[in-house]
Amino acid sequence: MDDPAFWHRLQFAFTICYHYLFPQLTMGLAPLLVLWKWRAWRHNDMRYATAVRFWAVIFGLNFTVGVVTGIPMEFQFGTNWAGFSRYAGGIIGQTLAMEGMIAFFLESAFVGLLVWGEKRLTQRAHFFAVVGVAVGSWLSGYFILVTNAFMQHPVGYAVGANGDLVLADVWAYLLNPWALVLYLHNMTAALVTGAFVVAAVGAFYALRGVHREQARLYLHWGTAVGLLAALAVAYPTGDLQAKMVAAHQPAALAAMEGRFQSGPMAQITLIGQPNVAEKRIDNAIEVPGALSFLATGSFHGEVRGLDAFPQTQWPTNIELLYYAFHIMVGLGTSFIVLMAIANLQRWRGRLLTCRPLLWALMLALPFPYIATTAGWITTELGRQPWLVYGLFRTSQGVSTVVSPGNALFSLMGFTGLYFLLGVLYLFLVGRELLIGPRENYSGAGTLLSGTPDNEVPHV
Amino acid sequence: MCEIWFAIVCFMLTVFALLDGWNIGAGIVHHAVGRDDAQRRLIIAALGPYWSWHEVWLIGFGGVLFAAFPIALAVALSGFYLAVMMLLWALILRGMALEISGHLTDPMWRSFWDGVFTFGSVLLALLIGIGLGNVVRGVPLATSGGTFWMPLFTDFSPRGHVGLLDWFTVLTGVFTVAALGAHGAAYIALKTTGAVHARAAQVARRMWLLTACLLVAVSIATSVLRPSLFAHMLTNPVGWFGLAVILSGGVTLVRGLLVVREQATFIGGCALIAGLFICGGAGTYPEMLHSTIDSTASLTAPQASINASLGIALVWWSVSLIFVVAYFIYIMRTYAGKVHAADEHG
Repeated sequence: MDDPAFWHRLQFAFTICYHYLFPQLTMGLAPLLVLWKWRAWRHNDMRYATAVRFWAVIFGLNFTVGVVTGIPMEFQFGTNWAGFSRYAGGIIGQTLAMEGMIAFFLESAFVGLLVWGEKRLTQRAHFFAVVGVAVGSWLSGYFILVTNAFMQHPVGYAVGANGDLVLADVWAYLLNPWALVLYLHNMTAALVTGAFVVAAVGAFYALRGVHREQARLYLHWGTAVGLLAALAVAYPTGDLQAKMVAAHQPAALAAMEGRFQSGPMAQITLIGQPNVAEKRIDNAIEVPGALSFLATGSFHGEVRGLDAFPQTQWPTNIELLYYAFHIMVGLGTSFIVLMAIANLQRWRGRLLTCRPLLWALMLALPFPYIATTAGWITTELGRQPWLVYGLFRTSQGVSTVVSPGNALFSLMGFTGLYFLLGVLYLFLVGRELLIGPRENYSGAGTLLSGTPDNEVPHV
Repeated sequence: MCEIWFAIVCFMLTVFALLDGWNIGAGIVHHAVGRDDAQRRLIIAALGPYWSWHEVWLIGFGGVLFAAFPIALAVALSGFYLAVMMLLWALILRGMALEISGHLTDPMWRSFWDGVFTFGSVLLALLIGIGLGNVVRGVPLATSGGTFWMPLFTDFSPRGHVGLLDWFTVLTGVFTVAALGAHGAAYIALKTTGAVHARAAQVARRMWLLTACLLVAVSIATSVLRPSLFAHMLTNPVGWFGLAVILSGGVTLVRGLLVVREQATFIGGCALIAGLFICGGAGTYPEMLHSTIDSTASLTAPQASINASLGIALVWWSVSLIFVVAYFIYIMRTYAGKVHAADEHG
């Protein structure tokens, strides 16, 4: 808290972590909605039409919260990070503007039609509305990740006359290798969230014995996509991401692993508490040589620890960085195990009858959110103490005219408002889940936003 | 290049003011027009499920401002810190109210969120108006290329070391509430039938009359405070064009109100608002942030931009605008016509 940027950093961290809870589900659900709408349209399969109708409402709620919590993100570059905006605005402003103009207009133009357009549009037009939303949301993710990748691994820039950055090569900037890898890793993680949520809702209905046909559908798709995505998050995308960090942010990698000393036979710490003052891991349970093997291909390979770097280049919060990374990796591994078991039971035809598994799938719902949040904390803390890696420090980026007191004031405002927003979101989504998919949909006029008063949630 | 981007930034802001303006305006007159729950549901239905598409214009405006004039964004948003935060909170509150009113059935909470919708909309219009008033009046920039920090209020005088609020910016805030309210009422009249339609038309008439009076007051106040703005505007052909738009919009509006043609009223109102932005932009250019302390310290558009990046941006911006216009036409066609009670959506 001695850091004048402390409240600014905490506000940005809080608002971005909160914001990202919502887009990750819309990005994860969007491909499923496209597939389902395709089957509903081409195969005239009413089960899929029902599924799209149900999940479109959840999607719409997520989208709205994503919009209203997303606007503060863009504006905070100017309000709280004026130094950074001056320094790098000529570059990152481009992708933020592209996100608005190219991706977000597309997504938001069609999201209303996705949710409410079924009775106004032909099947074909409704399908293309779903595609528009999906393309928009996935493009949106790309532009944001290019912006972040520039902060992690700046490319395509030149230093202008007054020391600020200018865009020298737009294609190098847009096709930053870090951005490509980050995009694959992040989007497969969003698919994990989408698949786990779909499976959890299916498990919820299966455990209650309601909406059996829809429950079977959600469990089927949720576990199938969930396994593929959970595998892809770890390998190849997670592996590529780790190699990217090793190549360009070696100090971050050492801190993520809690590795203080350089040397051969580097271990992977499964559990343990970093003790930065003593430069060791307390109560460590380790796999010797594993990190050397992953990083170099040999158990005896030399891996650099934090002692290989000057302390001014160490990440500023090594403890949290270490925990965030380990939580992400630990959860990611357990996702693979859970989804492998679920797919085995599905293959044996016992997915809907194995109640312990259904409970596990339902209770797994929050964990993909925790894993993605931990992943982003790893990315952003690993970048410290830099705002633009190797070029510009975080302490230089803050708005000098905004006192910490003002930043704390607005942080408290966001905390209160976002608490209220979260309660409302959970209430509305919970209500939709209790009402459940509307299976006997007559085609016109029944899909009102408000449920008629006489329709009691029938679960 | 700077002129083009200045025009683009103004364009984005104007479209936001027109499109989201009618949602905000509908919120301002929500209780004045919708006397009971059924009528208020019809107003929300008239806004359609695409209100968030209109709000995205604010994100588009912010993004384009960031790309073209990052230094203006940095100086202005950090200087207006508390006002921007309140604006963001008002946006969140209003978005929540709009979304939730489509999902709730309980009459008590529905009336509560209708109240939040009106409150958030009025607050939003007031803050937008105060913000625009601050841009017209100027901010306390002390040195060229420097930054400023402004308290919320000082002595309410619009000269020297000013605060966010003074008699001038409060006046522009009130004017904006009236203008957007009138715009929103005209939109509701256009989209509805029956009792809501009749009352919306009546409210639009009264609000436009109020807006006209306030416009005269704002114009006089501006000419007293910054006489150079008008002189500057008249040396610029764009300024004359803006005046022509205001004039023709005003005539269309008055004719629409007199012979009760809701299309004419609505389009005239749109032209009037757009014309004000064009005139404002023509009058201030090249200044983006005028200094109330030392006019040589004002931040100009060329100082605020990073020129090397603007050429390529013009290419993709133009292409993406074509798509955006296509979406706009598609949405307007899909949801054309009056809404009825059965068309309710959140």
